Amino acid sequence: MELERELRDLDVEWPPTPELRLVLEAPQRRRRSRRPLYAAIALVLVALAAAFAVPQSRGAILRFLHLGGETIHFVDTLPPAEERPLGAGLGPVVPLAQARALVPGLPLPPLEEQPPLHQSGNVISLVFRHEGAPVLLSALSQDGSFLKKLVGGQTNAEWVQIFPDSWGLWLSGQPHVFFFPREPARLAGNTLVWTRGDYTFRLEGPTLSRDAALKLARSLKYPGKG
Amino acid sequence: MLRAQRGDARAYEELVRPHQEIAFRVAYVITRNAADAEDAVQDALVKAWRALGRFRAGEPLRPWLLRIAANEARNRRRSAGRRERLTLRAAASPGEAAPSPEEALLATSDRERLLDALEALPDAAREVLACRYLLDLSEDETAGALDVRVGTVKSRSARALEKLREAYGTGA
Repeated sequence: MELERELRDLDVEWPPTPELRLVLEAPQRRRRSRRPLYAAIALVLVALAAAFAVPQSRGAILRFLHLGGETIHFVDTLPPAEERPLGAGLGPVVPLAQARALVPGLPLPPLEEQPPLHQSGNVISLVFRHEGAPVLLSALSQDGSFLKKLVGGQTNAEWVQIFPDSWGLWLSGQPHVFFFPREPARLAGNTLVWTRGDYTFRLEGPTLSRDAALKLARSLKYPGKG
Repeated sequence: MLRAQRGDARAYEELVRPHQEIAFRVAYVITRNAADAEDAVQDALVKAWRALGRFRAGEPLRPWLLRIAANEARNRRRSAGRRERLTLRAAASPGEAAPSPEEALLATSDRERLLDALEALPDAAREVLACRYLLDLSEDETAGALDVRVGTVKSRSARALEKLREAYGTGA
């Protein structure tokens, strides 16, 4: 028993436990048809949390929330990250059938010629031109890998409704830091993140406005939804 | 708990706050990376919140949270695909009967050596010993966190201690 006692007496120096401040959606244990109601409750919870949030000087996570497959951390200090092209590190090109096998809810832009689809982990992405500027559309299943972004105090975050059954966040202002699976962090510009059914979507464009992003998100061709 | 289950986020935060540290440490033992452990615990707390309606009131919350946090940590470890060392250090000698500086140095050195030997064990052995002896989890909690049966915790602990003894070189 000596070794067990020595282990117990080790008095290990653990890394400091981070202080977690949660912003929580309403529990999702009811039927899907009631989602808009819970999204509205989530909106209120976020507003309440924002009202009670006290700016802190330390470089820590102030609060975070999950939106489908994306985790959004609100921090007071952004880590270093570099600007890279929208199409960098999206993974190899895959045929549509393979992309849809991975993310059956993958929507496509209303274009005559579809841009190449890229796969990285459980995320399917495509870059295309919209109103003369490049935009990046990514889609993932909510049970797949998580995307992560860090949002500083200079980035505006606004809840928006895309469809009656679909809510999202519009992030604008100062760039935020975005983590794509297996890629170094990069700076990301204006972005719309939204969920619909079991899928999470992300639309990013450096010159994208809120209204243009919403219009584009609504104009995408969603499988089985016409 | 009832308030939290009815959707009171503040009540939920009060419920889970006392368990955040132990959940973070369990996640750290598994991911061996503080940032991954932090992400794992955050994801776990959100998932637990979403699943709170299925939690049976009256049951202990801590084992349930630890199980979810450990599961998230394993997912992070798999997706990260990297191998990192568990960078724990033995703290300075706690207030024992004031040994001489030489004795204190020797004691600290022995503890560092024991931690090094623990770190060098295979994942399964290291995790079960860290949960049972460094974190002082019960056998039930360890089984939940590592997703194995209690009997497996017992047998795995015994084998892991044997390996540690060989590596550490104590005849205890």
